[in-house]
Amino acid sequence: MNKELEHQFVTNLEKHQNIAHKICRIYTNNQDSHNDLFQEITIQLWKAYPKFRGEAKFSTWMYRVALNTAITLYRKKKRSIQTQDFDTVDFKIKAEEYDDETEQQLKVMYSAIQELNDIEKALVFLYLEDKNYREISETLGITEVNARVKMNRVKTKLKNILNP
Amino acid sequence: MDGLDLLKKDWKKREGSLPQLSYDQIYKMLWKRSSSIVKWIFVISIIEFLFWALINIFMADQEYWKEMERIHLKEFTVVIYVINYAITFFFIYCFYKNYRKISSTDNAAQLMKNILRTRKTVKYYIGYILISTAIVALVYTYFMMDYHVSTSVVEDIEKYSFTPVQWLIFAGIMIGGLAAFLGIIWLFYRVIYGILLRRLNKNYKELKKLEV
Repeated sequence: MNKELEHQFVTNLEKHQNIAHKICRIYTNNQDSHNDLFQEITIQLWKAYPKFRGEAKFSTWMYRVALNTAITLYRKKKRSIQTQDFDTVDFKIKAEEYDDETEQQLKVMYSAIQELNDIEKALVFLYLEDKNYREISETLGITEVNARVKMNRVKTKLKNILNP
Repeated sequence: MDGLDLLKKDWKKREGSLPQLSYDQIYKMLWKRSSSIVKWIFVISIIEFLFWALINIFMADQEYWKEMERIHLKEFTVVIYVINYAITFFFIYCFYKNYRKISSTDNAAQLMKNILRTRKTVKYYIGYILISTAIVALVYTYFMMDYHVSTSVVEDIEKYSFTPVQWLIFAGIMIGGLAAFLGIIWLFYRVIYGILLRRLNKNYKELKKLEV
């Protein structure tokens, strides 16, 4: 039974691992911290899995547990050094698809997100993942109105960083 | 195009460049040790409960009970012990109940609230220990002094007893010393608490900001 549960879980997580990687990308800024957070997310998902009885989609459930891990449960092992590892790596891949100006704008946006606090990052993440305000408010445990107001503030904040 | 919309488009494009772990790599992670804050809170809280319980047990050796008998405080001490254990068990029960409520499948605000509540139980327990220690210490000191004065046979009572001003100074030093000692423990405790929960507290406040 246990073996079956393990297999089921790992298969599900392997399929939906992008969700966890994207959260790691928002909340960490180098490969070591990324791996570390990913591991903690996996552990927390696995610990909570026996209570997951398919009442929601695995991915929906995963968003919640993984975000909770990043915002609340995860304790950084060491202070991570501010690096731009991801930006440089990723932008090399995408460089040819955008013109210089757009590329520059994206670069600034991504580093602006790194400057946001944990809650603002969660809002941006859920927004980028196309979640509506009802889903955002349910995941974070705040009212929809509050989610909207907070999101607007983050947008303004990012806009200001982008066009000082 | 709005900055965030541009970002959204790019965000989706980037999915292809995300790392992909294999089944085996993920499987291995299941057995790694968690470094979650909840685990830390649990361990530290248990240490705190144990620490004060052990201090209580080790302090009460035979000599201590003899001394209590001598100053006629044995019954009082037994009552204090019973009350203290009852209150301690109550705190441990509350702690356990709150701890069990912590679930990573709750929404973020609820999860944070439950963690903070669990930790608060221990905070109140430490507060209780410090205040009760202070009260009991003052009661004992008073009775010891009282006993000493009433049993000392001295020829010149004037020479050996305190004037009211001396009494005041003595009481001041006692209370001041006790307050300083307990204050240091409280400060030390606040530092541990602060380090452990700084980020969580900040995030909880940020999340609940603007909430009606």
